[in-house]
Amino acid sequence: MPLQQKEGHVSSSVEARAAALFAAHTHDIHKRTDRLFAGLMALQWIGGILFALWVSPLAWAGSTSSTHIHVWAAVVLGGLISLFPALLGLLRPGLPSTRYTIATAQMLMGALLIHLTGGRIETHFHVFGSLAFLAFYRDWRVLVPATVVVALDHILRGLFWPQSVYGVMVANQWRWLEHAAWVIFEDVFLVVACLRSMAELRETADRTAALEQEVRIRQQAEIDARNSEARSDAILSVALDCVVLMDESGRIVQFNPAAERTFGYTASEAVGHQLADLMIPADQRGAYQNAMPRYLKTGEAAGTNQRFELTAVRKGGEIFPVEVAIAPISSDGAAMFAGYMRDITERRRSEAALAEYTRDLEVAHDTQRQNSRQLATLVDQLRITQRRAEDATRAKSDFLASMSHELRTPLNAIILYSELLQENAEDGDAKQSIMDLQKIQSAGKHLLALINGILDLSKIEAGKMTLARETFDVREMIDELLDTVGPLVRKNNNALKVHCAGDVGAMSSDLMKTRQILLNLLSNAGKFTSNGVVTLEVVRRMEGAQIFVEFTVTDTGVGMTEEQTQRIFDAFTQADVTTTRKYGGTGLGLALVSRFCELMNGSVSVVSRPDEGSRFTVRLPLEAAPAEVPAVIGA
Amino acid sequence: MRFPFHVSAFFESKTRAWLWIATAVWLIATAAGLSVLWAWDNAPGEGATAPRTWPTGTALVRATEKPTLILLAHPQCTCTRASLAELAEALARATVRPKTYVLFLKPEGFSDEWAQSDLWRTAAALPDVSVIRDDSGSEARRFGVATSGQTLLYDEGGDLLFAGGITGARAHQGDNDGRRSIVALLNRQSPARRATHVFGCPLFSAGL
Repeated sequence: MPLQQKEGHVSSSVEARAAALFAAHTHDIHKRTDRLFAGLMALQWIGGILFALWVSPLAWAGSTSSTHIHVWAAVVLGGLISLFPALLGLLRPGLPSTRYTIATAQMLMGALLIHLTGGRIETHFHVFGSLAFLAFYRDWRVLVPATVVVALDHILRGLFWPQSVYGVMVANQWRWLEHAAWVIFEDVFLVVACLRSMAELRETADRTAALEQEVRIRQQAEIDARNSEARSDAILSVALDCVVLMDESGRIVQFNPAAERTFGYTASEAVGHQLADLMIPADQRGAYQNAMPRYLKTGEAAGTNQRFELTAVRKGGEIFPVEVAIAPISSDGAAMFAGYMRDITERRRSEAALAEYTRDLEVAHDTQRQNSRQLATLVDQLRITQRRAEDATRAKSDFLASMSHELRTPLNAIILYSELLQENAEDGDAKQSIMDLQKIQSAGKHLLALINGILDLSKIEAGKMTLARETFDVREMIDELLDTVGPLVRKNNNALKVHCAGDVGAMSSDLMKTRQILLNLLSNAGKFTSNGVVTLEVVRRMEGAQIFVEFTVTDTGVGMTEEQTQRIFDAFTQADVTTTRKYGGTGLGLALVSRFCELMNGSVSVVSRPDEGSRFTVRLPLEAAPAEVPAVIGA
Repeated sequence: MRFPFHVSAFFESKTRAWLWIATAVWLIATAAGLSVLWAWDNAPGEGATAPRTWPTGTALVRATEKPTLILLAHPQCTCTRASLAELAEALARATVRPKTYVLFLKPEGFSDEWAQSDLWRTAAALPDVSVIRDDSGSEARRFGVATSGQTLLYDEGGDLLFAGGITGARAHQGDNDGRRSIVALLNRQSPARRATHVFGCPLFSAGL
């Protein structure tokens, strides 16, 4: 809040408080006076009755008497006049209507008393006394109804019974003005007195409000000062640095707990002593003692308001390094100094250790730089070697591809001609040659399959294998496949079970390679299982946002060891050398399965135990890559 | 209990209305009471039928060298105090001091102490005033007086100069025509009136 606005706010609040105090005091005066008048009314009533009983108890007619009408008037009329305003004074004190009614009643009571006293002129003083008493309200307005009642009383009685009020039988019709004028004459003084009294009351309220405000401000200032001091003490007591306050002569006036811990003195031991005597080594005291008077004289001091390091001395005489900052402060006009000190012994040790460590690190860094250079050289050599190996592999694949092609042409001719010869032999007489021709045909087909496998593998490794995507029904593909592979599986007296889930439907992929994968897996299962069961399960699986078709080929055959399963997808590899001898095969089937799966963004895995059979799981995307692009699979 | 604003406002307005009504009733009743009181105080008593000449048979002795003044009063009537005060005032103002009698009624069956009340003593304290007990009101009847405070003034020759009260109202002291007339007559001046209303207690009970 801006200062001007704040001052305005304070001023208005003081004015409001003064107004409230004034209103409260005024109301209190009105209430108190109302109650006084309530009592006075009762007293006047009783007094009137007693007076009537004393002066005119009886009215006589010859020898007979009766209660005097003045007694009845004192009782009934006096009660009527007194009780209503007295009740208002007790039940509704402080209200304007109450005091106006009381003022009216008081004057009516005056009229009654004047009457009861036989119009004695002395009783007229009741009117003036009552006006003075009404001035207790300090509200000049109450004099108005009182004066009006007096004037009306005089007007009416002057008109009808002038003798009762003026003491003459015939009075001038304006004589009431003379009486009213005397009443007003008194009113003038009373009004002035009321106004002055209210002005004084208002002034008192203003002063009281101002005083209250000042007291509040002072109390708040004291609270703020106490809080500030408490905060300062709390900060000093928990400060990790030593804080020492000194007066202008260098004498310690405050010594915080951190200083006690650091220097070994208690606060009571340190306070009152010269800082130089307690905490500065003897050989440095001279500089300190010269600096202090210079600062006091010129206001200049080297090192104030900045940090610097020097040595200090503990209670036991131990010299230690400290970081110091000295700030001049002012307290009640006197120059003081706050010294902030930190024991930096540990820091110095750490700095020394850090310097040594840095040196070691630099040596290690040099060594590492040398090793890095050697490593870079080795990496370069390795890259060259790898490039050469890749070139050799590509050359090998190219060679194999071309060689396989060159080999297949004559081999197809051999197989074809051996089939023709076999047909001729069956048709002719050379039936003894059939067996030999079948062996040639069988060996040729085996060789052709071997060459085809090598050709496919070489294409893959040479990056020349492509995918031919088409949409086909999986169940139909399985059915067609079973026609081919079923006899192979059942050859060793195995049972073939196929479970194809109803929701598999169609997949969009390379039909030939999918069929080749399943053909290889099922033929392997049939080959390595005797009198067992070969199962093909086909299900659709959801993995993340992609849908796969999962083919699982399970057999109850010879199974494999853990080590064998790790090598089974390598080219030209079978479980072991005895396998080749016992079961035949080229060792290319599973390698092709693995390569085809990778090519089609799928996967193949195997779980197997010796003599318990194997389970191969192939997972292929329901939707293969859209474009027929050459796919390169690392060898 | 704190009422909602409209409820408290309703009761406040009702209270204010009742207060106004009560105040009005109070003022009217008070004015009426005071009016009754004033009317009673200013109601004159029965006037005198005083003989125009000094009556024979009276025990009172008329002065021949100065006027004779007779004031007949009831010893227990509070109005008598005002009449005595006015008498004292009149005598004080008169240049010719009349022979003055104050007769206090003593009905039959009442003691002397009853008749010789403090008013008796007040009258007796007045200079040159003879205070006489009027047993059974015989003198009052002789002078044709029926109301306490009736004052009669006869001249040296026994002729009636004035008959009336010397107060302006019952028990009220102060300037009045009766006193002023008597003072005028005693001072050999023309009186404003020779008869005035008398304000006081009846000297005789009804029917007597």
